[in-house]
Amino acid sequence: MPIRNNLLGLVVGASALAGHSPAAMAGEFDGVTVNILTRPGYVIAGRLAERGVEFEAATGGKIVVTEVPFAEIFPKIQQDWSTGTNSIDVGVFAAGWGVELDASGLLEDLDPYVAADDKIDLDDIAPYFREFGQKVGGKTKLLMVDGDFQMVYYRKDVLENAGLEPPKTWEDYLDVASQIHGQDMNGDGEADFGSCIFKKRNAQSYFAVQTFAAPIVQTQGTGQGFHFDSATMKPIVNNDGWKKAFELYKETGKYGPPEELNMDIGDTRAIFKAGRCGLLVEWGDPGPLQLDDDATAVKGLIYAVAAVGSREVLDRETGKLVPVTSENAPHAVDGINYAPFAAFGGWAGAINKKADQKKKDAAYAFLSYMNQAEQSSVDVTIGATGYNPYRLSQLASPDLFVEAGMPQELAENYIGAINAALNSLNMASDMKIPGAANYTGVVLDTELARYLAGEVTVEEALENIEAGWEEITEDFGRDEQIEAQGLALGTGN
Amino acid sequence: MAGSPLRESWGEWIDRHSGTFFIAPAVTLILIFAIFPTFYSLVFAMSRVRFTGDGLKFRFVGFRNFAKQFFGNDQVHFLGRTEPVSILGMLVFAVIVVSVLVWLYRSRKITTWVGMLGRTVSAAMAIFLAWVLGASLLSGNSIGTIYTTLFYVIVGCGIQFVIGTGLAFLCSQPISGKNFFRVIFFIPLMVTPLGVGYAMKMVADVTKGPFEPLLSVIGLENWVWSVDPWSARFVMMVGDSWQWIPFIFICMLAALENVPRDHVEAAQVDGASSIQIFREITWPQIVPVAVTVLLIRAVEAFKIVDLPNIMTGGGPGSSTESMTLHSLYVWRANDIGTSAAIAYLLLILTVILCASFFNYVVIGQLRRAKE
Amino acid sequence: MSDASYKFEKSGRTLMEQLFEPPAVGKMSLVAKIVAYTFLAIWSVFVLFPIYWVIITSFKDAAAVNQGPFYIPFVDFQPNLDAWRAQFNTDLHCDLSSILRQLYLLVHNSFVFVVSPVISLTPMEPQICKIYLAFTNSVVISIASTILCVTVGSMAAYALARIQYKPKFGNILVFVALIVAVIFATTYAGIPWWASSAVALALFFFLVRSIGRYFRMALGNGDILFWIISQRILPPIVVVIPVYVMFQAVGLLDTHLALIVLYAVANLPIVVWLMHDFFASLPIELEESAQLDGATRLGIFWEIVLPLTRPGLAATTLLILVLNWNEYLFAVFIATVKVQTMPIMVAAKNAGEKGVFWWEMCAVIVVMIIPVILMAILLTKFISRGVLQGAMKG
Repeated sequence: MPIRNNLLGLVVGASALAGHSPAAMAGEFDGVTVNILTRPGYVIAGRLAERGVEFEAATGGKIVVTEVPFAEIFPKIQQDWSTGTNSIDVGVFAAGWGVELDASGLLEDLDPYVAADDKIDLDDIAPYFREFGQKVGGKTKLLMVDGDFQMVYYRKDVLENAGLEPPKTWEDYLDVASQIHGQDMNGDGEADFGSCIFKKRNAQSYFAVQTFAAPIVQTQGTGQGFHFDSATMKPIVNNDGWKKAFELYKETGKYGPPEELNMDIGDTRAIFKAGRCGLLVEWGDPGPLQLDDDATAVKGLIYAVAAVGSREVLDRETGKLVPVTSENAPHAVDGINYAPFAAFGGWAGAINKKADQKKKDAAYAFLSYMNQAEQSSVDVTIGATGYNPYRLSQLASPDLFVEAGMPQELAENYIGAINAALNSLNMASDMKIPGAANYTGVVLDTELARYLAGEVTVEEALENIEAGWEEITEDFGRDEQIEAQGLALGTGN
Repeated sequence: MAGSPLRESWGEWIDRHSGTFFIAPAVTLILIFAIFPTFYSLVFAMSRVRFTGDGLKFRFVGFRNFAKQFFGNDQVHFLGRTEPVSILGMLVFAVIVVSVLVWLYRSRKITTWVGMLGRTVSAAMAIFLAWVLGASLLSGNSIGTIYTTLFYVIVGCGIQFVIGTGLAFLCSQPISGKNFFRVIFFIPLMVTPLGVGYAMKMVADVTKGPFEPLLSVIGLENWVWSVDPWSARFVMMVGDSWQWIPFIFICMLAALENVPRDHVEAAQVDGASSIQIFREITWPQIVPVAVTVLLIRAVEAFKIVDLPNIMTGGGPGSSTESMTLHSLYVWRANDIGTSAAIAYLLLILTVILCASFFNYVVIGQLRRAKE
Repeated sequence: MSDASYKFEKSGRTLMEQLFEPPAVGKMSLVAKIVAYTFLAIWSVFVLFPIYWVIITSFKDAAAVNQGPFYIPFVDFQPNLDAWRAQFNTDLHCDLSSILRQLYLLVHNSFVFVVSPVISLTPMEPQICKIYLAFTNSVVISIASTILCVTVGSMAAYALARIQYKPKFGNILVFVALIVAVIFATTYAGIPWWASSAVALALFFFLVRSIGRYFRMALGNGDILFWIISQRILPPIVVVIPVYVMFQAVGLLDTHLALIVLYAVANLPIVVWLMHDFFASLPIELEESAQLDGATRLGIFWEIVLPLTRPGLAATTLLILVLNWNEYLFAVFIATVKVQTMPIMVAAKNAGEKGVFWWEMCAVIVVMIIPVILMAILLTKFISRGVLQGAMKG
């Protein structure tokens, strides 16, 4: 397994790193245990545990990583911290979820720690992640370990053989998928699939559908958002724009694996590594994942497109779709509006304000260790860790990935795609307001799953989403949400 | 003991009140952890709850959480789609309503006013369930979590009862190796439901599971059971039956072994066939145990949650969600009020159905058996 | 049951009847025997096959799982210990000393908890090796809650079998009314829960003494028994959210004590139901003579009654032990980090994005189900002795 090789490398690296210790002295945190709660699986959690061993060797502080199902991360952390149970010291979760926790005063302010930290290189972190991911209300409350965008990937060889161009719009995507669906893409004699997307409920499906919706609904830049009308916090989901996104999303299922509705990200990664997918909607992981030992069928063949856009955009006044013009979509290129979706915002660590000071110090030292370029740049090149690049030093040139084994052309394409998304002025931001986990992870996800399963029509699904979102907004207070949305999108007071 | 002082010793005082002390711990525990929370849960069900920096904040909203399940935007999720209503649906509904009302009318004379009240409640529940059935399932529409739960209870328990009793009947015959079978058949009951769910998920997998060659032969290799609501529910029920048929088997086997053998042998001497023996002699003897077993099994079946969670995560969309699972998912969404409301609806459903079954079937059978 | 002899017509036998006709009384015909054994054999395969599949999958590696079903170890595929090693090696702290440390931690933390009102000590931090943590938590919680449940339940069952209770219905209504008042006071009027509970309790005793004598209608033992047993109908999901808040108010969230008590209450009805039958069927003369000799009730219970019902007690204990081991719903709500039990760990791993890492999941599941399978085999020994039969008639 690829993990074993990396483990060996880690041990070697750890001993080499013993000299370059984290921002702490040896034995400084003896007897201190830091409890981290995060998602299960090797992804994200595994790396924390492994680096935790190095950290313990260097400073004596133990790192314990507890895993709970993805859907339980946020409720568990929120309940643990707000009820004062304090079993958890550090939560590693979506950067956008920190806003709600901070609103209740549960997050430790990390600015003083950062000021005293000479190893952390904050300027190296891409501005979007540094300002919008790590900071809440202007103060640093989280430290990133991973940066997230959703992109579309394609099998270069399959498309070239079929004489097709990488898709630029979602209609192109469906067109390409339909033409390559059923071909044998990995030489095993079985028909393979045009498009693979993780459509399972309670998993990651709701991110993918937002990647479809963003270019249709958001046109005026990041500050506009595509979930709510920022002035009133009324949801803008019950219209033809989102309707089209849902319908396109469902139609990709025609060219996908038969059990796509039951596949989560682990399942789709398994099949694309086996070479059975022509097109993918995924985060940054397929780039380095194709270098794994069990991905020989696709090594060097999976290329990325920064974003797939739309020729029609939503007119918010009428709720109908109109063709792209330079007025209604100033950021459009060649008549296509792009809005790369920073799905999830990236995994980041936050510290419990009510934990012991010693624990908080150790926790900060560990998060800083994970965040520093020396460790981070190794981690983002290993696909299995689930960490994707977020530092300028990682994105400035393809060299990092070429060293990890990517062919030059592929590395340039991969880094180029991420940079294009990061620098796009119309980049779509994931929700960063109180209730973020509920708006998308529960209401949107449930109705989407029911629509895909044929339980409700698309109109009913969108109505239910609108009603559900309004309910959550009322729970938190509309005025508070308006203010929070302003802060999140960088447009507010 | 001669010369004991007027004041009792400590030990004697305890012994005099031993009645209280023996039963007090059990009653106290149940009061604190079962009765009190049941009432407290009603408060949650009627509020919107938020986690803030210093604990929980309640906002009273009356019955809104409940109304959402019946009339609001959760109606299709909970009740199922109830329009358009087909002729068959309306017909069945009408038939059931009429029979229930007739039964209610006839009961006037044979029970007290308390009993009448109970019967009215049962009748109301029956009519409501009949309406949902007619409007959703029989009209070709999708069903919601309430009927998914009832499917697991009624159809599941029925099939489990038939198979369990059949196995018990076979095992009660004069065959050898009875104890071997008893041990083997008992094991599934004790396996952790999560483990059962996972094992079934693997065994039922169509690409890598053990049945894959068989499915290819039949030509079903592209069929995935987890994508169609009814096949998902059916596979779920198979998993549940795997675990619970042993329970029925054990109980019915015990009951069958208690049937006096001399009656059976006398009938055999008289030349009766096995079927006649079973119908006339064995069955009346085991009916009291059978209905008790069914009741116990049904009570447990209403609570099903581990299996659908692991096997299908709620199924395609929400089609294998039982009401407990529905409530669990809503709790994960931090919507504690609605979660408590759904739990309360499950409680009402379970209590009315189980109490009705107990009062109208079980007690009658038990009374008849004592004659 | 009347002793009428049955006269049956011998004519008109169908083919099926002729096939299944027994050659002699008390014996089965050959066809019937074949049919019976076939069905039983099929069912045995159905029962054992999933367990077999889980066990052999835990010995497979990635290739053996992904390339289609392989059925027989050593013939179809080579078994290896990948999954087992991954379990104990991915957590780089899993070694023998950590199991001992975990047991010591439980003793230490229980001691800390018990003396916490008086002295304040720091509890030990939980285990790092997840599977050891989950396993020891499961073991400790199951055993402790079984002991609690069986003790409390047997005492209550014995009392209901031997002592006549006559609680007045009116008193019960007063009690319920006070519960509702406490809830409203705590939630909406903001009065701290201990204050309102204390006041309500005092009020209850006062009211019982004063106006209790005016209540006539009384309930009997049968009603109390029915009430306790019917608690089983209560779906745990109704109870778990308020209980979560209650435990949080006393700071007992994510502790072993919380789960022990909850599991005990959940299974109390079963213990009372089973043990009541055993106690009721004991001849009362033994106890009466002991009472004449001056023994206390507790003495009679402990020295005379319990030894007589030892098989039933053992069977009940095993059954409750298994039920507690398998419990999942309460742990999801109450446990965060320190008291994760085996089912929680399995559920968490199931949601992992490892894709089809079945072999690792199977290793964990085998660890989880082997103890209960052993307990089940032990339990059937009791069942075949007809120990639980009396309860069925109830």
